[in-house]
Amino acid sequence: MSLVSFNFLVFVLAVFVLYYVCPVKFRKYVLIPANIAFCCFAGIYTLAFVMVSVITTFLGGFLSGKKEWKNGARNTVAAVTIVFNFALLCAVKFYGVMDLVSERLNALLGASSGSWLAFAVPLGMSFYTLQLIGYVLDCLWGKIEPEKNFINYLIFGSYFPYLTSGPMNRYSDLSAEISREHRLSLDNIKTGMIRISWGFFKKLIIAERAGVIVNAVYADHVNFSGWYIPLGVAAFAVQLYTDFSGCMDVVIGVSKLLDINMPENFNSPYFAKSIREYWRRWHITLGDYLADYLYYPLLKSALFIKIGDVSKKAFGKKKGKKVPIYVAMVVLWTAIGYWHGGVWKYIIGSGLLHCLYIVSGMLAEPLFEKIRPALRSDKLPYKLFQIARTFVLVLLGFVFFRAANVPDAIDMLASLFRSPAGEGVIDLSMANYIVLGVSILILTAVDLYKFRPKDTDEPRSVITLTEGKPVLTWLILVFLITAVLVFGMYGLGYNASSFIYASI
Amino acid sequence: MSREEIYVKLNEVFQDVFDDEDITVTDATTADDIEDWDSLEHINLIVAVERAFGIKFTMGETTSMKNVGAMVDIIAERAG
Repeated sequence: MSLVSFNFLVFVLAVFVLYYVCPVKFRKYVLIPANIAFCCFAGIYTLAFVMVSVITTFLGGFLSGKKEWKNGARNTVAAVTIVFNFALLCAVKFYGVMDLVSERLNALLGASSGSWLAFAVPLGMSFYTLQLIGYVLDCLWGKIEPEKNFINYLIFGSYFPYLTSGPMNRYSDLSAEISREHRLSLDNIKTGMIRISWGFFKKLIIAERAGVIVNAVYADHVNFSGWYIPLGVAAFAVQLYTDFSGCMDVVIGVSKLLDINMPENFNSPYFAKSIREYWRRWHITLGDYLADYLYYPLLKSALFIKIGDVSKKAFGKKKGKKVPIYVAMVVLWTAIGYWHGGVWKYIIGSGLLHCLYIVSGMLAEPLFEKIRPALRSDKLPYKLFQIARTFVLVLLGFVFFRAANVPDAIDMLASLFRSPAGEGVIDLSMANYIVLGVSILILTAVDLYKFRPKDTDEPRSVITLTEGKPVLTWLILVFLITAVLVFGMYGLGYNASSFIYASI
Repeated sequence: MSREEIYVKLNEVFQDVFDDEDITVTDATTADDIEDWDSLEHINLIVAVERAFGIKFTMGETTSMKNVGAMVDIIAERAG
């Protein structure tokens, strides 16, 4: 079930009514049948997948958190749980490969074609599995006490709003959030409905239209040239951002209706002044997760400490201490790229290219320190230049991310400088271009309002604009709903095409 | 080891890692207060502190220490 669909809204409404009809103490338990029903909509095998993950990580966390056990035994339990769940995730994520394998097996066995794994695909399980693995590691590292009550863990592990594409939650945060008492409040209803409508607005009005440009240019780039190439590339940046962050708005909004606060996953990312800052504003919960569970453990391992010692001797203290950081970055960014899809275009586009940006930025830092006063880096023009430069670098990564493969991406960049082979057509009317342009302006204004120069500061909530002005709140809501109904591009039936991140 | 003694040694570690002789840390010092103390340098600092005091921080402690005071609490408990 797509999160941007009429069916999902009906489902949420049913959960909402049941949730608040129940006495306060029992409200969280309504989430169990809701989560199971949501999984069942995606297929019975999805439910099986979720249950197997929940049960194994519950047991794995429980045993690896046993302080009276020897470290070796605890490590082994955690390792087995993690490997098992990763294997399960890989089987689902790269089902195309598995499909092929199973088809061959089926052919060998004389069975009919088709794979059960195809049933499990609708949910974007990567976020979800990583999150449960994070729980096992937290137990192993003594960061949290293992949960002893399976029901509490089940509610956390199968919480339906985030099953499709995150945001990633820490057990310690979300479980406490789900377990506290939840009360019906007009504020939550207003905020929740505005967030959901805003998500629909982004997805159905902006992402779907930008997608038309993206599909045309990327499918047929040899027939486009000049400005059409950057237009297609920029349109993809808009599409991916509105698609993914729109999905997060729906997840956060639905949770708000249930009086459950979810972490933000985006913080005006395209206003970042550097690539490092961009990653602290884009898919924030994934960055935090990988820092805690991959990057830090890697750097703290005996091997990396040894690399640091050797490099300090070879290159001197100041330069040498950076070497393990660079090596860890290559591992981290390869993992991020691989996680996005396991093929080179992702490993380059959202992995190694970003690694190259960051590492070269670090290497050039001594030079920048010297010329910074001359650049007047504290003045607005330079900051605007930094924002534009960062955006262009991000766009370059997106070319690889979206193109069919690496050679196509390179060829597309080359077509910037050559005349088109034919006449490419983008099937979007002028009226649609105007709707897209105006809605992007609205999005930019909202992101600009939310933007705080320091990325660790909480983004300013647009809802605060309407504080003490209830009429304005309802007007915004009516505007968003009307806009979605009138200008939303619904595709076939009432389901928008699936979210990009939920389908990779 | 008293907290004062820990701080004398800890200041030396911070000055050495961040290459700044003027750094003086207190219980309330956080990564926000020291320009170079970012996510990239954090582990270099942790490893240097571990070596200076002959202790080990767990992975959980490494990623969840809120300020220098929390770090000193752990050192005081383990360095004896």
